[in-house]
Amino acid sequence: MEKRVIKKDALAGIIKNISNDMLVYAPVQDEDNVLFKVLEPGMEPLVEYANTKNAPKNFFFPQTETMMKYFRTERGRELAEVVEDAADAVLFGVRPCYARSFVLLDNIFDDPKYKDSYYIARREKTVIVSLACVHPPYTTCFCTSVGGHPMSLEGSDVVLTDLGDVYLAEFLTPKGEKLIEKMGNLEAADEALDAKKQELSDTAEKEIKSHIPANDIKPWLDENFENPFWDTIHRSCLACGTCTYLCPTCHCFDITDEVKGEEGRRIRTWDSCMSWLFTMETSGHNPRTSQKERWRQRLMHKFKYFVDNFGAVACVGCGRCVINCPVNIDIRKIVTDISKL
Amino acid sequence: MQNNPYVPIPVDVDKIITEVTTKDIKTFRFTFVNKEDEENFKYLPGQFGELSIFGKGESPIGIASSPTQPGYIEFTVQKAGVVTSELHSMEEGARMGIRGPLGNTWPIEYLEGKNIVIVGGGFAFTTLRSLINYMIFEENRSSFGNITVVYGAREPGLLIYKDELAAWEKRDDINMNVTVDKGDETWTGREGFVPTVCKEVAPSSENAVAVICGPPIMIRFTLPVFFELGFSKENIYTSLEMRMKCGIGKCGRCNVGNKYVCKDGPVFSLAELDTLTKEY
Repeated sequence: MEKRVIKKDALAGIIKNISNDMLVYAPVQDEDNVLFKVLEPGMEPLVEYANTKNAPKNFFFPQTETMMKYFRTERGRELAEVVEDAADAVLFGVRPCYARSFVLLDNIFDDPKYKDSYYIARREKTVIVSLACVHPPYTTCFCTSVGGHPMSLEGSDVVLTDLGDVYLAEFLTPKGEKLIEKMGNLEAADEALDAKKQELSDTAEKEIKSHIPANDIKPWLDENFENPFWDTIHRSCLACGTCTYLCPTCHCFDITDEVKGEEGRRIRTWDSCMSWLFTMETSGHNPRTSQKERWRQRLMHKFKYFVDNFGAVACVGCGRCVINCPVNIDIRKIVTDISKL
Repeated sequence: MQNNPYVPIPVDVDKIITEVTTKDIKTFRFTFVNKEDEENFKYLPGQFGELSIFGKGESPIGIASSPTQPGYIEFTVQKAGVVTSELHSMEEGARMGIRGPLGNTWPIEYLEGKNIVIVGGGFAFTTLRSLINYMIFEENRSSFGNITVVYGAREPGLLIYKDELAAWEKRDDINMNVTVDKGDETWTGREGFVPTVCKEVAPSSENAVAVICGPPIMIRFTLPVFFELGFSKENIYTSLEMRMKCGIGKCGRCNVGNKYVCKDGPVFSLAELDTLTKEY
């Protein structure tokens, strides 16, 4: 692992320079929100921000993407091209919780039998540069309850830690180390910085104020697919899907076709288990008839099924669903309530 | 591109057979446009494919032919939604796509050396037909014990694969019991519901496995018959259907508990289903 020092006021410029050669996806101010977006020429990323509104999963798994194009022939419609457009890229400014979310999503998109070429191609060509949460941004952050840490290195190629006057830059992977040369002349880091980082790591962990018993509820979930408790959580839900769209680990999608004249495309778009249409069958039968079943699915998927299949809770504790739910459904409260049953 | 599991394999509609008098169930025989695709499409009975029509979408359908019938694959499809309606309007010679083979298979290795009871109802006889043709194939027949088939439909016009049913009736190595809920003036065969006929045929549970597919109401009344005959839940298999998109365990919609029907199924034993949630 290579360690370097980046001056505080130089970081935004360094990332801007990288965006001259490579695609850079980074936090930028967009009206009232901080959003992950592609840096346009001349744009600098935000380096001081609490957190982004959207999760950066969009970069590997876009909200909408063209999978393939086709055209009309005399015999029907035939494939014109498979659209695989991954380019060398840097994903800058992700929080450690999102970096972890990619490790969880890899279980789905990069499983041994079926490789999702769209996701994998982007993932392989992208260097993930994280900004450690020296001060966790929100009171709704609960990463430490779900296997994460505000200064975790998991899933990142490079981690930058704000040490006050400089950033400590840790280049963790070969992919990350290749970025060093694109960052100009960076001083080597001395060991004193490691000690300072460790100190900050301990305080950052203490600054996480929200704790939930995420790993304790599985035995109850294993036994209680049918339970009156499930009647209590969904009633205010509007089925808007905000929680699933903003969630860094939600990966459900739809595949649809669009035709215009002689040409058409097959596209993939995010979908949501909160929608009644999600499981609606052609016959009219729907195995999840009400919002109750859909909420149970969301909870079960994150805290039981994913654990059964991949050994981890499918939640990174970013708190985005808690902050953005229009009717204040709080997954932390639900998990805590279950732990008391 | 070859490794992209979302790209359909190009196929041509080679032959279309209208199976029923209501004309809404047809069997489509497809041939592969590229020889190498045909060689790579290695499947076993019980698996399914995503029938893919550019401009309309995809529909997951069980494979109705058997791998012992090389050169083509068949799917029997009911006209129901956007994709299947488009398919039903297609003519021989049309070009479309298939993704697959997908999902698990009937437990062929487990079935070998055992007596097999096949129970089908209505249109849910497609992957069972694949299994029957696989088992009675000359080179495979000795690997299986007695084969008993109970197949029923509401009326004679709704029985599918009529020519094959007749051919199987003539064989002495398969015990055929075809029934209809209600016959018509030309029907000389058996009348009666599938569960009742199963009770009358009363296949022995000794070294036997039952493979059952049909409408939920048929399954509900058939299962108690088999329990009474002494079949354990480990020796009763069925196949599930759910709404699907990707077919490869990623799009997240066809799960029953922690299993995806597309990837971990569609074939499950009753014992396996007992460990899953009742959400299908």
